[in-house]
Amino acid sequence: MDMSNHPLLSSMDEPPPFPPSHPHLRRLDRSVVCQICKEPFQAPVSIGCGHSFCSSCIRSSLDVMKKCPSCNEPALEGQIRRNRALEEITDSWEESRPIIYELAQPPPTKKRRASIQESNSKPSSSSGTKRLKPNSSREGSGSRSQSPIKSRRSDDGDHNSLNGNGEMEDEEDDEVQELTENDEAPCPICQATLPISSIPLHIEKGCPPPKTKTNGNGVGGRKGNQKADWKKVFSGQGLGGKSKDKEVEMKRITKPNYSLATPADLRSILSEYSLPTTGDKPTLIARVQEWIILFNSNLDTSHRSSLSALRAKLSDSENSKKRDKEKGKDEMVNQLGSKDGLQKYAKEKKGEFERLRKEIIERDRKRREQEEGKGRGRDNAIEVE
Amino acid sequence: MSGLSTKRLMKELADIQSKGTPEGIILLSADSMEEWVFLISVLGEETIYKGETFALRMKFGNRYPIDVPEVTFLANEQYQPPLHPHVYSNGHICASILGNEWSPVLNAVAICITMQSMLASNKKKERPEGNDRYVRTAPSNPKLTRWHYDDDTV
Ligand SMILES: [Zn+2]
Ligand SMILES: [Zn+2]
Ligand SMILES: [Zn+2]
Repeated sequence: MDMSNHPLLSSMDEPPPFPPSHPHLRRLDRSVVCQICKEPFQAPVSIGCGHSFCSSCIRSSLDVMKKCPSCNEPALEGQIRRNRALEEITDSWEESRPIIYELAQPPPTKKRRASIQESNSKPSSSSGTKRLKPNSSREGSGSRSQSPIKSRRSDDGDHNSLNGNGEMEDEEDDEVQELTENDEAPCPICQATLPISSIPLHIEKGCPPPKTKTNGNGVGGRKGNQKADWKKVFSGQGLGGKSKDKEVEMKRITKPNYSLATPADLRSILSEYSLPTTGDKPTLIARVQEWIILFNSNLDTSHRSSLSALRAKLSDSENSKKRDKEKGKDEMVNQLGSKDGLQKYAKEKKGEFERLRKEIIERDRKRREQEEGKGRGRDNAIEVE
Repeated sequence: MSGLSTKRLMKELADIQSKGTPEGIILLSADSMEEWVFLISVLGEETIYKGETFALRMKFGNRYPIDVPEVTFLANEQYQPPLHPHVYSNGHICASILGNEWSPVLNAVAICITMQSMLASNKKKERPEGNDRYVRTAPSNPKLTRWHYDDDTV
């Protein structure tokens, strides 16, 4: 029942909850969570009614309906304002959380030292990938109360281990102990070549590209032109002339009128940001829409992602949509998993899900039996666990 | 599934695991991340559905929770959709929360609760008007139906 050291669940970023004896801390926890994705705010923004969400969450939602998801008040994209204070609060709460979590535990343990050390190191804002620091400190909080190995891992958690700044090799042994292979394999989503053990976290972080060798021994040519295009994008060659991030204006993109825009218009937007220009008009529209959400919401945070990280995310979401159409994710992973490690990853993820599912169903079955035993429709609550 | 929807669903599942589901609502199966089935029964002595259990199926797309999941009552040998003026005999449901009232802050359990209370407030077991005609021509995905919501719809 101890799932806290499972690599996928810890990368799922689920810190242990505060004990019920601290309702105010539970409330604080909830108040830094976006109600759309249920994750701590990333690039928080507010809209007219005063409700706040992650920039990309509310932008996606407003693309579908022009109202606040929480209170139904009419809302428009133009109302979106970066909420700097909320970002600051979210960040500092996540930084302090491990310490406060420790303090909130009934018997103070001697492991406290580790957590203080951990919180001392400053978050590094140099790396492009968003929120690595908060994530790793949360992860630390999840693993602290366990084995010594785990607390070492918490300490390591502060080095922005998986941000693709070229230092991954040293760290992922600590990061993901269960997968020890040092083999490399292509990420099933962005195709970037990575050590197998770092792939799950890499995916969870939205596929930040590893510094170099993106197109190493990736699965070649499977997706035809588009794939080749994405590959070029990631290898830094770019597609158009200007491929250097510096040259792209960091200014909000105005949405084109999609019904009027010609494929050529759309392609020119895409090439301005060195993105693939392949596909029919619906494909181009979907790519432009997604890119605008990614790009604009990236301007709403001080943890900016690099353009290449944004491109990786775009490619990820495009692939997963395509995959959805074709078949299930697991199948896809299996197909691509020419190496044992990837298959193992796929199996593990499946296994984890399977286990969660079984536990719940077993529990529910017992509950149903109890309910039936007492006759249906009684209204006394049956507490489980 | 995209990373985001998978992550959100994992979270919901973990939540169900740690906190359980409200009474009368039970997760029957979640054979994949894409499709979950809940059992729903209405509690109390008042209800016209006393002793009945219904199976509610949800299919999640890769844009969940931005897009509403596809929600139907199962209609098979084992489960029958409830007799309700907003539930067609093929299991399709006319409920605004599954259409224009959907909000991405909602989740699977919230849908179950809404369905449960839609049943709880019903006094008359009957099919919607035009049930047979609808069922004959309905697309298999109810999201493709252009629903018209009555005022009294939940
Ligand atoms: Zn969010
Ligand atoms: Zn609002
Ligand atoms: Zn100011």
